[in-house]
Amino acid sequence: MQEDNLSYIYRGLFTQTITDSIISLAENNLDSTGETSKVKKRVFSIMVECLQNITRHQTVEGEEFNDSSIPGIFMIQRKDDGYFITSGNVVPNIATPKLRSQLEKINSLQQDELKEYYKQILEDGSISDRGGAGLGLIEMARKSGNKLTFDFAKVNDDISYFYLHTAISKEIENATAVPVNLDNIKSLHRLSNEEEIVLVFNGVLNQDSLINLLSIIEGQMRGRVDIKKKVYNIMVEMLQNIVKHAAKGDDESVIGNPGIFFISSKNNSYSLCTGNYISNKSVEELKGKLEHVNSLKGEEIELFYSMRLLNFEIDNSKEAGLGVIDLRMKSGNCLDYSFSKVNDQVSFFTLQVSLK
Amino acid sequence: MEALFYKKTEDTPSIIFDPSRNTFEIAYRSLPEDANGFYEPILKWLNEFYENPLPKVDFVFFFEYFNTSSAKQIAKILLSLEKLSQKSEVTILWKYAKNDSDMQSTGLRYSKSLSLNFQFIPV
Repeated sequence: MQEDNLSYIYRGLFTQTITDSIISLAENNLDSTGETSKVKKRVFSIMVECLQNITRHQTVEGEEFNDSSIPGIFMIQRKDDGYFITSGNVVPNIATPKLRSQLEKINSLQQDELKEYYKQILEDGSISDRGGAGLGLIEMARKSGNKLTFDFAKVNDDISYFYLHTAISKEIENATAVPVNLDNIKSLHRLSNEEEIVLVFNGVLNQDSLINLLSIIEGQMRGRVDIKKKVYNIMVEMLQNIVKHAAKGDDESVIGNPGIFFISSKNNSYSLCTGNYISNKSVEELKGKLEHVNSLKGEEIELFYSMRLLNFEIDNSKEAGLGVIDLRMKSGNCLDYSFSKVNDQVSFFTLQVSLK
Repeated sequence: MEALFYKKTEDTPSIIFDPSRNTFEIAYRSLPEDANGFYEPILKWLNEFYENPLPKVDFVFFFEYFNTSSAKQIAKILLSLEKLSQKSEVTILWKYAKNDSDMQSTGLRYSKSLSLNFQFIPV
């Protein structure tokens, strides 16, 4: 986990609120890591086009056709040389030949030709209600400076899964014309399907990114209200632990602390996991607190919580804070955790909370 | 005494403490990054109100959600109202959404630890 690394995966339903939060989350991370405004603008416009592509294809000819059993996926990754955005969604097989030919046409054109082609389509007036005709795709190719990589994976006789991958080089001159191989992305997708991953976030955590992550999960979750509330509660405590107590990254100018968060809902049972650096000096104390909280049974947990709730003089004590006790209470399970030493200063701490 | 107003935000509650209308209400969500900092002026306001209180006051708590660091600050508010109850007739109206058993038991937990008159109101 490199501290300037940004990557996240969202898998599920795409609504307006959720896509807004996905965009804000990226905005917050690009801001807090000090990305140049030029690169930021390009990343945003491509993200917006990409997300619109997914939401647009959730309906076909005005009919809701996408059944939620096959969720869409959105990924953004940052590597040294740029950003990589991938979307995946179901499209009807009858629509794939047209989509493929549009993409092939776009990939055959140079930058200046793309501009012409864009104008030509606009003047043509052949734009459908849903803004089809590939204008969004042309924009993505123009803004990225790269060819668009795509693939269709047949699901059944009616539908295919459509992958669209855009590389955004930091310097447009360094753009590569070579389409990348999507095998990695596809295996990542397969894995998140198997584990029923809802969200993976690897980046800078601060209060703003916490709010955006909450809003994505709130919008996504279906089912029982009490479980939804529990997941929300657990998420706040886990992420605020990172915001408040994790070790900072090497770059002091970054607002927030590096951390990893993921949530899965395998077999309808939610599991939340965080990973972050902590100072080696804090390891033993935290371990002690977690062991103590895990050793409590039934009524003892509630008693310990009430005692801690009204004690204001023990903020520096060796006893676990309310947050950790709350996690134990809400999950109904023991907390799973691990520490691994990274270097003389910090260790990597993971915490997993599963809902019974 | 000047009223205290806070509009709700994504992570902080709405607050109306208005002695001129005898309205006291705190509602919505509370999950600020710095709960201490957020609640400090509110506790200060209550301390001043204690000096010159109304004879009878109802305090409405109608939370949808609060995190554990806010839970401690809310405990402080309730302790301050416990002190006030020596001078005025204080009632805590603990409102919660009727399917929200968590918020109900959170209120019950406070009521058990404090000598305050609590009324539980499912909405």
